[in-house]
Amino acid sequence: MRVRATPPPADIHDLDPQAFLEEVHSFEFWFQAVEGYLSGLTFGHRPETVEAELTDLERDRLVTVLCNYCLGETAALEGASGLIAIAPNRMAKIFLSTQVADEGRHLEVFLHRLRGLGVQQPEVEVERRASPSLQLFRRRLVDLVAGRDWEAAIFAQNVILEALEFAVFHRHAQSADPMTREVLQGVVKDERRHIGFGENELGRRLAGAPHIRARIGQVKKELDPLVLNTLEETVLHIGLPRSDQEQLGRAYLESVERLGFA
Amino acid sequence: MGDLSEQEAAPADDTRLRFILEDTGFDEVPKKYRRFYRKWEGAGDSLAPNEVICPVCKVVIRSTRELRPGDRVYCMPCMSRLVVVRNEAGTLEARTAY
Repeated sequence: MRVRATPPPADIHDLDPQAFLEEVHSFEFWFQAVEGYLSGLTFGHRPETVEAELTDLERDRLVTVLCNYCLGETAALEGASGLIAIAPNRMAKIFLSTQVADEGRHLEVFLHRLRGLGVQQPEVEVERRASPSLQLFRRRLVDLVAGRDWEAAIFAQNVILEALEFAVFHRHAQSADPMTREVLQGVVKDERRHIGFGENELGRRLAGAPHIRARIGQVKKELDPLVLNTLEETVLHIGLPRSDQEQLGRAYLESVERLGFA
Repeated sequence: MGDLSEQEAAPADDTRLRFILEDTGFDEVPKKYRRFYRKWEGAGDSLAPNEVICPVCKVVIRSTRELRPGDRVYCMPCMSRLVVVRNEAGTLEARTAY
């Protein structure tokens, strides 16, 4: 018997919901997506992009910001890789394998950017400069994963941490030097998948088991101050006005509000 | 979040405007899906009758037909399933349907 592949519908929105989920969680989808925007780049930027001239203060501030980004990406890399073992189904495991690749790339391009700015030992500098609040967040995320708490860990990583990164990277890209901007723009494209996976996965779990809402609410209460402290410090180092901090805070809160956590 | 059951049902008629979609350079999904999405260009940009903004990742979602309340749309860049609703201002928007 010959099996013929079903052609895609003329309008993608006519896809069966399960077929849509299978498609967007697949490694094949991820591979074709990243090929579109990473092909031809070297460490996240076009090879011909030249280093901008920065003052000593601008350079120092950017190094601190990138150190925080490196720590955030390290947390996400550790979190996503640990989550594969406790993911409840095959689609989530495969998606997380693509997220691990994304997070590894993000860490690598940010470390490379630090070297480009003259930092001799980027990993030492990350340890020295990274926000204490973010370091605490990282430890708490590792604990949640080690405790095999799927919902709480997904909430901490793919909703809270990814929403924060998405909002900050997107805003920073608008005012960054050309090389940092290109690196950030590529990372933001990956982050869209990560925040969407977290919100939709948790939304489905909450719909099926509303009793977990109280536990997630407790995790949010615990992690919110760490996220907001990190946001405040990062906005200061990027050199954004205070109004931007409030706007970024709102962007972060939007996703948790959609899940019903005010 | 509004109650989707209170929204108008999507009419099963054939009177909707149809649109031919072209690739706008959106590169975050595989090539075969690119024409269904575009970037929101900010102030000065506007939505066509076949477009809504994804509330999760802010990408513009496009359909080959005019959108109406009750329609299902997918945001592939962020993997979200959404339902089109009419908001209090009378305009169409998409809401997450987990």
